[in-house]
Amino acid sequence: MLLFRDEEHVDRWCEARDLERGVTITPEQTWRLAHGWYKDKVKPDWRRHTVDETEELLSSIGLTGAFWNLRG
Amino acid sequence: MSEQQADIDVLARDVRIHVFREAAATARVPQAPEISRALGRSEPDVRAALHRLAEGKVLILAPNDGNIWAANPFCAVPSGFRVETAQKRYWGICIWDALGIAAALDSNAVITATCGDCGDRMTLEIRDRRLVRNEGVVHFAIPAHHWWDNIGFT
Repeated sequence: MLLFRDEEHVDRWCEARDLERGVTITPEQTWRLAHGWYKDKVKPDWRRHTVDETEELLSSIGLTGAFWNLRG
Repeated sequence: MSEQQADIDVLARDVRIHVFREAAATARVPQAPEISRALGRSEPDVRAALHRLAEGKVLILAPNDGNIWAANPFCAVPSGFRVETAQKRYWGICIWDALGIAAALDSNAVITATCGDCGDRMTLEIRDRRLVRNEGVVHFAIPAHHWWDNIGFT
């Protein structure tokens, strides 16, 4: 996941690599995602999130729809 | 499950705890030889445990030498995503992980990255668990279901 100056820069980056455009989210959404995903990672009792838990996290940030579907 | 497999599973937990504790405390991701010395286990056993952790997507091994590339969110080598706390300098493999370092440490942090297109320097800042400075947009090139198909590109 890369950070870009704005949407135009994302378009240019994708075009230069002949890549289909993905989805952009805000740094605030990314922070909330990162916090939910990693806040316990250093703790001894850490465990991987279940698919249900990850879906709940994504949904709580407004990341819903086909692009964010974890189940294929 | 064989006794040996069970032993590696137990060791994998110890290795995980050691690697992440060290990465957080020192800003340096330890590799197999020093993990071996710290835990008093043979290096082949430690490497087997690291492979078990990589299979479980707990950390990422470099494809060529089997060293830890990232005990994500902590990247073992300098990258384009620098995270500065009051005490240390860390590196993330992407902007998600750079922010994840602040989350994992539960620390204030200034994150410096460059625009993926033009290379301009950009800054984000976490203070008291809030994003207090931000700019730009974050692009996810790969749909969520395929993130681990090629995590390096993701």
